[in-house]
Amino acid sequence: MRGGALPPALVSLALGLALAFAPRGIWRLSLVTLTVTATALAIAPVPRGWLDFVFLGCWLSVAASAATVHLPGGLRPRWAFAASLNAGFWSGAVIALSGSRLDLLKALPCVLVLFPAALGLGSRAMIAAKVAASWLIAIAVLAATLQFLPVTPGYMPDHLD
Amino acid sequence: MAAVAALLLGSPADAHVGTGLAGGFASGFNHPLAGFDHLLAMVAVGLWGAFLGRPLIYALPVIFPAVMVGGAVLGMLDVPLPPVDIGIALSVLVLGGCIVLSLKAPVWAASLIVATFAVFHGYAHGKELPSAADPIGFSVGFVLATGLLHVLGICAGFLNDRPGGVIATRSMGGLIGGMGVWYLCRAIGS
Repeated sequence: MRGGALPPALVSLALGLALAFAPRGIWRLSLVTLTVTATALAIAPVPRGWLDFVFLGCWLSVAASAATVHLPGGLRPRWAFAASLNAGFWSGAVIALSGSRLDLLKALPCVLVLFPAALGLGSRAMIAAKVAASWLIAIAVLAATLQFLPVTPGYMPDHLD
Repeated sequence: MAAVAALLLGSPADAHVGTGLAGGFASGFNHPLAGFDHLLAMVAVGLWGAFLGRPLIYALPVIFPAVMVGGAVLGMLDVPLPPVDIGIALSVLVLGGCIVLSLKAPVWAASLIVATFAVFHGYAHGKELPSAADPIGFSVGFVLATGLLHVLGICAGFLNDRPGGVIATRSMGGLIGGMGVWYLCRAIGS
């Protein structure tokens, strides 16, 4: 098992943390972009053969979005928009291939972490956002690496063979 | 974040789909908590970071999971390492010692110490990761538990701002270091 709501939820969480460090003026456009893109991809006929590629893109997006919290001054507006488009694309694609449309409703609200994270900017709580971002990077790297290991992951049906 | 993860992750039954094997979020989350040596080392990382102040207060808990992933990959690939039990016991001893001595290490040295020990802790988690029925859930679980233990250590370190707090936190370091000595003797003896 590797699909479902969790991968797109982690993409949304990472984007939320990234947006918390971006200018507030870009938030609304970013949230709308994420929602529209993810919804469009979730109902699009994504080819089955893209499964591994889509998961890799999803994990790289989590790592890249989370890493932007360490940029001095956070994401610039143009990059925040691009990150939202990117997050929506991979979230929707993962759901189209290995989830249900209901998973979109579970995953997308995770982007709202941006509000509590933004409240903590400039205080000790900002550490929490940066630490949480590092956790997301760690999870994403582990999940991406697992695809390339010469072992049979537990989610493969032939694991007991 | 823990609550969100718990809500989003599949039920235990989901974690077994297709394989009959256990191993999802709950297994991963319990992994750092089940071993008291892991737990003490994680708390010590946060506590020492709080002693060292900025930028290490948040740099250490960021460096640790980043390097831990490297250790986990080595574990998944079954790359031979020096005895992991000794490495983990040493991490408890050294990190506890740094706290009790209130060691103000330079940024590079503190980062290097924590990164070295992160390899051993990651290796131990990574050994179990590939066989988990839900490796992503397992990863989320053990990274989250590790991070929460760091945060616990950082919060304990905020005691330093209170009267007598430094004595209390250094005493915690002494206890952790003492446990480290015991773990090291046990690891060498086994």
